Amino acid sequence: MTIRPDLAEKIAGRVRYATDLEVPGMLWGALVPAPVAHGRLRTVDLGPARARPGVVAISATELAALVGGRQGDRDRPAFPRERVEYLHQPVAAVAAPSLAEARAAAKAVRVEVEPLPVVSDVDAVFPDWPGSSAAQHPSVAAHVHARRGDVEEAFRTAETVVRETYRTASVHQVALEPHACLAEVEGERWRVRTSTQSPFGVREDVASILGIPEESIVVEGTWVGGGFGGKGASFVEPWALLLARAAGRPVRLALTYRQEFLLGRTTLPAVVRMETAVSAGAIRARRVRLLLDVGTSLPGRDFATGYSIGFLLGPYRTPTFEVEGYAVRTNKPPFGPHRAPFAPQCAFVVESHLEEVARRVGIEPAAFKAAHLWETGGTTPFGQPITDFGLAAAHAAARELADDWRRAAPPGHGVGLGMGFWSTSTGAGGEARVTVSADGIRILQGEREIGSGSVLVGLAAVAERRTGLSRHRIRVEYGDTASAPYDAGVFGSRTVGALGRAVDDALVQILGTLAQRAGAPTPVRLAEGERGVELEGRGQRWPIADLLTDEERAQGGLTAHGKHYGRGGKIDESLVVDGTFYAYTDFTGAAHVAEVAVDAQTGSVRVVRYAAFQDVGTVVDPPTARAQVEGGIVMGLGTALTEEAIWSAEGRLLNAGLVDYRLPTISEAPPIEVTFVEGHPGAGPFGAKGLGEPPIIPVPAAIASAVRAAVGAHVTELPLNPERIARALKREEP
Amino acid sequence: MSAHPLRLRVNGRPVELADVPVTERLLDTLRGRLDLKGTKEGCRTGGCGACTVLVDGRSTLSCLTLAQEAAEAEITTIEGVGSDAEGHRVQAAFEAVGAVQCGYCTPGFVMALTGLLKERGAAAPFGEFLEELGGNLCRCTGYGAIVRAAAALRAEAASR
Ligand code: FES
Ligand code: FES
Repeated sequence: MTIRPDLAEKIAGRVRYATDLEVPGMLWGALVPAPVAHGRLRTVDLGPARARPGVVAISATELAALVGGRQGDRDRPAFPRERVEYLHQPVAAVAAPSLAEARAAAKAVRVEVEPLPVVSDVDAVFPDWPGSSAAQHPSVAAHVHARRGDVEEAFRTAETVVRETYRTASVHQVALEPHACLAEVEGERWRVRTSTQSPFGVREDVASILGIPEESIVVEGTWVGGGFGGKGASFVEPWALLLARAAGRPVRLALTYRQEFLLGRTTLPAVVRMETAVSAGAIRARRVRLLLDVGTSLPGRDFATGYSIGFLLGPYRTPTFEVEGYAVRTNKPPFGPHRAPFAPQCAFVVESHLEEVARRVGIEPAAFKAAHLWETGGTTPFGQPITDFGLAAAHAAARELADDWRRAAPPGHGVGLGMGFWSTSTGAGGEARVTVSADGIRILQGEREIGSGSVLVGLAAVAERRTGLSRHRIRVEYGDTASAPYDAGVFGSRTVGALGRAVDDALVQILGTLAQRAGAPTPVRLAEGERGVELEGRGQRWPIADLLTDEERAQGGLTAHGKHYGRGGKIDESLVVDGTFYAYTDFTGAAHVAEVAVDAQTGSVRVVRYAAFQDVGTVVDPPTARAQVEGGIVMGLGTALTEEAIWSAEGRLLNAGLVDYRLPTISEAPPIEVTFVEGHPGAGPFGAKGLGEPPIIPVPAAIASAVRAAVGAHVTELPLNPERIARALKREEP
Repeated sequence: MSAHPLRLRVNGRPVELADVPVTERLLDTLRGRLDLKGTKEGCRTGGCGACTVLVDGRSTLSCLTLAQEAAEAEITTIEGVGSDAEGHRVQAAFEAVGAVQCGYCTPGFVMALTGLLKERGAAAPFGEFLEELGGNLCRCTGYGAIVRAAAALRAEAASR
């Protein structure tokens, strides 16, 4: 039986999301879009909008006055002053008594932009790539380069060299609930209720964008209708707050679905060049080059490139290598995180490429991969020691299942295997205030439940496991950024792993204090008794009520403040030639098996069944863990098969809606078998590893491998839509 | 813009509104005028199913329905579906299998499934039955738990 405290409320339609917020006297906000993808801003005339009754309008010129003359981060102002850099970039905002009036007022704002040449994609910046290097090109936001060993010599002397180019598409998070918030400003108190994966992150962003001190900002998270990375940073909040300040009234601002697509910060297209040198069945050297479209991400601030490169080497021993990546600025919105940012794309590339390499040297792909797979105690190509890693065990189990499925597969079906590894963001810190009383355990923390269950279920499961107290006596509470202790956010699969450690830390303190007061033999646990919750040690029991001081009783129990600030590993910095590379905090991964049926005529793919072997360390709550894996896999099927945001040469998104940007539907979701590979503990409480992101990573790789097995099409681009499969089949024809 | 009085029944209760523009969508009438915020607003273009309600027992996208089209009709929303026997069974099945994560798709799915069971019962093959739900998107669950709930409901319907 699932214990989700939010279940009944959600099924009854009683929870309120940010899109549902309304308060008396509030105004509705709307954004004024830039008419071209790149240009010099000539005029933003708010006059016609302001002439309408009840309308408030603001643009860059009002910024300083609205924030009391302070100066926000010059690199990312709320509204552009001189130049627009992507189509629909908000250049002004309005608020009005109704949404219809707000939209009409937004349309009335007169915007004049002198168009400049649009840099639409990475190919426009690097036409001769990979034959050229262009670290100094003005469109390069970041450049990373690292190498180990004599790469040229290894490639010159290898028996076989395989060179391929891969392309991956732009994908959106498409949380079902669009971004929305309600802002109120009173004097120096800037308050916003918002749908976010990180209330403290929003506070920090708002402070930096507007230039106001964090202490005067209060962010309260609402229920979140799905995040997937899209709600990890501030988005609509600065505009709503500025409008509320200008209007002197609360302002609600929500994006339409079209705006979600047009403005969303998400994974953008990439081109990857893969080269592998093999002798005597072993990888001698690899060269990986990446062009990652980062849209209007700020120069020098691109994390994605240095982080992704490692995932392009894959979880494979590689003695000699060279990696080079460019973050390329284009006239698109900034790059943003999408569930395991860019990792499913990397896994698709490295898995498909190594499968091709194995075939060329005549070795069964799974055997070739197994022979090179990282194991606990080894080191990564960047010289970081590999801590408990269960991918080899997961892969072995997946291989066996894949062989069974292969034997049973009818003609036209194909069985494929794909792997992926991940490092969770458990280094990002968190704190929790935990109180134990005769009534049970209360956990006060700063996050809202985004759907995965990691907050409401995960934290309670940690407390249950630590104390033995049953979960109906454990309550997870949240506060706004003024009342709750700090936490980095619900992202990076870190909630249980990091915030859960903070909860555990507080509970260990409390159990220690109680045991000492009772003189109880350790270890102690909590249990329900006649007088409420009791401390238990070696069969003896002490009612909690008797162990509290009068003051504690008056305050509702014994409270402890738990903290967890993790540490990452280290890489061998001597390998770095340019830019920043990142170490992993832990090692997790999965091996997936897919069976597909491919129509060789049309190239259409149906996923018949699917199995996942997940390296999780320890499962803290089996039903929510399984739900994460199922959800991640189906989201990955979208990345693998249908999802692709298509941008024109003018920087226009051509499919900004659900009709042309296709998500998986219920009848396309295959039956999924989930197996948890335990026993390779991670950094989380009780050895748990994060599970929000890892299940999506191997999906495109597994599907590509299955499609190849079914019809022989080696597709080197994502998504694997019918057109690309048909094209690959043509190529394969003798 | 012309506005007219509008009479409908919502969750069993009569509702009379004085001036409802001909262009107003049922979704906005329910959420805005009647404060029935359980019906979710998603894409507003018929692509996600979050706004599904029952109009005279049939599952209907309220974002693509004009309020005036629903004049005199009986509207059931997530707030009222629990009083309907089929709706109650669907809600119980969702709870039993835990077919919910963020919950944003949930009201729409509960309404669509209720409408479909009323209309089709266990008659159509399960695959076809699921295809009928293709207009309801869920980004969180991967549909697995929703399919399990639907299968249990169909088995129950078949045994009735
Ligand atoms: S809101 Fe009606 S279908 Fe999406
Ligand atoms: S539970 Fe989040 S969209 Fe379905």
